Amino acid sequence: MFLIDLSILFGISISTLTILCIVLGIVLMPPFYLILLALEKTLLVAQWAGFSVIRFILLVFRSLQRNLLRTALSYMAIYVLVSVVVMIWSVLSFLDGITTEKQEDFKVLITEKFQIPSQMPPSYEQRLLSIIDELPPEYRMKNGEMDVMTWAFVGGTLDPTKQTFENSIFFFCMQPKKFPTMMSGLEEFTPEEMAELNRLIDLMEKDKKKVVIGTGRLEKLQKKVGDRFKMVSLNYKDLEFEFEIVGTFPKGSRYDESAVMHRDYLYDTLRDYEKRTGMPHPMANKCLNLIWVRLPSKEAYSALAAKANESGSFSTPAVKVETESSGVGSFLDAYRDLINGMRYMVVPAILATMALVIANAISITVRERRTEMAVLKVLGFTPGMIMMLVLGEALLIGVLAGGMASSVMCVLTQAQGGVKFPIAFFPAFKVPYEAISWGIAIGAATALAGSLLPALSARRVKVSEVFSRVA
Amino acid sequence: MTSKPPCVQVRNLYKSFTRGSERIDVLQNLTLEVPEGEFLALMGPSGSGKTTLLNLIAGLDQPTEGSIIVGDQEISQMSESELARWRTRHVGFVFQFYYLLPVLTAYENVELPLLLLPMTKEQRRKQVLTALDLVGLSNRLSHRPGQLSGGQQQRVGIARAIVTDPTLIVADEPTGDLDSKSADEILKLLETLRAQLNKTIIMVTHDPKAAERAQRVLHLEKGRLVLDTDNRLAAVSSSWS
Repeated sequence: MFLIDLSILFGISISTLTILCIVLGIVLMPPFYLILLALEKTLLVAQWAGFSVIRFILLVFRSLQRNLLRTALSYMAIYVLVSVVVMIWSVLSFLDGITTEKQEDFKVLITEKFQIPSQMPPSYEQRLLSIIDELPPEYRMKNGEMDVMTWAFVGGTLDPTKQTFENSIFFFCMQPKKFPTMMSGLEEFTPEEMAELNRLIDLMEKDKKKVVIGTGRLEKLQKKVGDRFKMVSLNYKDLEFEFEIVGTFPKGSRYDESAVMHRDYLYDTLRDYEKRTGMPHPMANKCLNLIWVRLPSKEAYSALAAKANESGSFSTPAVKVETESSGVGSFLDAYRDLINGMRYMVVPAILATMALVIANAISITVRERRTEMAVLKVLGFTPGMIMMLVLGEALLIGVLAGGMASSVMCVLTQAQGGVKFPIAFFPAFKVPYEAISWGIAIGAATALAGSLLPALSARRVKVSEVFSRVA
Repeated sequence: MTSKPPCVQVRNLYKSFTRGSERIDVLQNLTLEVPEGEFLALMGPSGSGKTTLLNLIAGLDQPTEGSIIVGDQEISQMSESELARWRTRHVGFVFQFYYLLPVLTAYENVELPLLLLPMTKEQRRKQVLTALDLVGLSNRLSHRPGQLSGGQQQRVGIARAIVTDPTLIVADEPTGDLDSKSADEILKLLETLRAQLNKTIIMVTHDPKAAERAQRVLHLEKGRLVLDTDNRLAAVSSSWS
């Protein structure tokens, strides 16, 4: 319920991204021409070194100035499409990265086998620890129980009469003291931020009602540190929690929209419910959503998984034991078709569109300049040289537009500290610096592919036919 | 008068095109010689084959049959790339519509053929300036074609044709797009090139006045040579009469 549908997210993201890229492309058109001009001026200076080849390159630059509108449209098409491809590839490589197995320091996930989200009994934690105790010492956790963490997800609203996104909050319900060692992404925190986090955790350990909330979420709730508030739970029916905000997660971190509460407070509230009503809460035996265990090696993980399957302790409900990466992979399984569609259909379609746009623009250019090509041949340019001139024009636009598109995407996401997935445990996603070279390569490759046929046609221009037609 | 070694030798030349199933014989069994340093005009009605002959001599097309020797090189057997390299060194081409590259300056347009030769920047500069000076445009180096008159553009075209110091200059209707004054200047320039630099010039023209400026006029009709007039002899005989 709290997991935003990835497919909708991707759909919205691509549409928004395309619009953003078009706007960026238009905004960056003057710099594109300025770079072209600067490069041309540099070549003009360099030509005095006497290299004939610089004159050829200069001819390519000058040719792009013949029809500024056509050059601008080709640039825009490449810019927008390279931006979208780079973003999609970055997302896909990011997903590949988080679903790739680590070789050591394994984080193992124990979840319900047949239901998402899992609803396991809290007793599963103790059963798991018992099983781990039976493993050989080298397969056990290095830091004992500090390497085991349970999760429950508690969502609610501050105003049950008028629930909105702004007045809703979603808590990770856990043992605060394990937060610094078990949670990912804390390496992004500065020493000062880590010190503050440890102070807040101490406070939470002393008072179960104290919570830490991300800065972004706090702003939406219109609350501040020190405020107390009541939350009516939405997934734990008839439960009400009273919290005191003791601090925030740093702005811009992956926990900007997250909130953390003490799991004992949930257990206490469930017990209070039973005392009050005389019967256990319907969720009392289903309040363990996830268990994380950090194991020293892949072999340890295999041994634990085998033990868990054999023991019979985890039959109602059945559980699965998997690595963090395969857990994420399992979560993404539902979107496998979507991801494959992106990888194998959308990206190739975009690349083909790019090549066609370039082919169209360059074909028109070649048709318009057949006489000029013929003149160059008369002057002694070989068919290969004519072909290189045409390819050079496409290549120049492709490299420049592709490089600009990927650089801007990279710089923007890096400067923003990454784009956050609205899925809590996914880290912020950034377009990596190596994407700049992808952009240049994509721009160059598609420009070459698109201009190949027009260039061959230019190569085959027959001088006598061109001039007999003119005459 | 024709004791000079031939610059161009055309032997039993045939050129035909096929249009659909129809075969069109444009040139039929044509033989001619153009001595070095001669200014020759090719005349004839449209479709008589004069431009085709010019293109063949300039190495822009391949004959169906026969041979063409320019200087001491048989060009009718050369490949397209070989012809391209040969043209750079041996042929200067002057077009009716100038065909200067609009994005390049006068200097850059004239320099274009030199980029294909192994020359230093200084050598190129010297030759470009000499050529532009010869056509009287050394004060228009950085002008683009759009900033020049028709006559000036044609002079840039001629400078581009002579900048590599070619053996042969071929001109296809070089005055066809010019007013009479500019046309006269261009013809004078061609005469100067022949007289002072001993260039062999072959010019296609429809204009009898332009043809009068040549030393010799060949008339073509239906792909055959029908008349060979030596203006020098005509001038001598008219002075006698």
